Amino acid sequence: MRRILEVCLLLALSAGLTAGGAPPTSPQDQSQQDQSQQGQGKSDKDQQKKKKKGGFFSGLKAITGESSEQQEVTATAGSKTVGEGEQMGEAKPTAADRQAVTAMENYSIPEKDVKKFQDDGKLKPKQ
Amino acid sequence: MKPRVACRTGRWAAQVLAVLALLGLAPQAKAQFGDFLKKATEKTQKVQKALQPMTVEEEREVGREVAAKMVAFFHLYKNEPLTRYVNMVGATVAAQSERQDITYHFAVLDSDDINAFSAPGGYIFITRGAVALCEDESELAGVLAHEVGHVAGKHVLKIVERDKALRAGMDEAKAYTPGSAYLHKMSKGILVKLIDQGLAPGDEYDADQRGVRYAHAAGYPADGLARFLTKLDQATAQGGKSFWTRTHPPVKDRNARIQQTITAQHWEDADRPKLADRFTLQTKMVKPKAGA
Repeated sequence: MRRILEVCLLLALSAGLTAGGAPPTSPQDQSQQDQSQQGQGKSDKDQQKKKKKGGFFSGLKAITGESSEQQEVTATAGSKTVGEGEQMGEAKPTAADRQAVTAMENYSIPEKDVKKFQDDGKLKPKQ
Repeated sequence: MKPRVACRTGRWAAQVLAVLALLGLAPQAKAQFGDFLKKATEKTQKVQKALQPMTVEEEREVGREVAAKMVAFFHLYKNEPLTRYVNMVGATVAAQSERQDITYHFAVLDSDDINAFSAPGGYIFITRGAVALCEDESELAGVLAHEVGHVAGKHVLKIVERDKALRAGMDEAKAYTPGSAYLHKMSKGILVKLIDQGLAPGDEYDADQRGVRYAHAAGYPADGLARFLTKLDQATAQGGKSFWTRTHPPVKDRNARIQQTITAQHWEDADRPKLADRFTLQTKMVKPKAGA
């Protein structure tokens, strides 16, 4: 019986301690905590373990393309293919260039003119 | 009697303490679980969005940025009669495409190189050099129809949709604003793929097949593209500049497949108009002058 009581008391004490310390933390408190944790000193081994495991979301990071590793891969792939496409990709369109694209979008030929063009050429389109 | 009472009291106290302990842990557990759930939901949403096909509006914005870079690099060939003519031929073949949820736009780039490009969203460019290489309207129709085929087959779009690195950042607030970092990265990636690396041979063959089909359905002879490709091969062998021969499958293979389709479909119509006279008249401004 005593043992049960002791265990429960221990649980209650630990719960009280953790609950009291954790939830209402201001950013300042958080940074203080971090500093104190750093002060306690995390071993390199622990950090390596964390890196290796990568956390629960590490797999998802690869899919969403957020990881820094992936950015590295992309940058490397880009540097391998220096060509005209890359130069074009680096082109910075001016307002006039964008206006030219808008003009291209707005350029339309009346349907009757296209029909006449087809008739003149004796084309017989299906649609 | 006494031990029994003590035992009951002890059990009761133990239960109360256990409940208290659980209650004490509850806020922290709730906070941790809440964070976990929030993170999981956010990540799931990002993954779902990254794997979703692009909407037509998103495709158009990406294509518009690619088009803007092409215009910035080459500049448009500003000649209204030629622009109108290319748009007439383009509209005639594009009307035969299976994909009609977008509008196809055509323009001529001011370059001697022999190239034609298409960007997602229906932006199709042909260089002055490529127009000059054509001998009749059916060849021009074949080239434009090949580019329409790339857009209709969503060849570039599918590459973009599969490339998670390119799509990273797509959910940022101003991702689709012209000139945004996201559109710059995306359009640059597309241009590198199109011009430096080339599409998969399967996509090129597919665009050829579609092009032949659209040109034939529009009323042109089905072999216009094949005739243009033969000339392109000769021109590049003599020093003509084109990324088509560098990044596309060999002309011999492409023409063999085109011919196979024409034979299988019985599309060898000798009486179909090639429209060489009309073409010469409409494109005289890009043709090199005799003796030049």
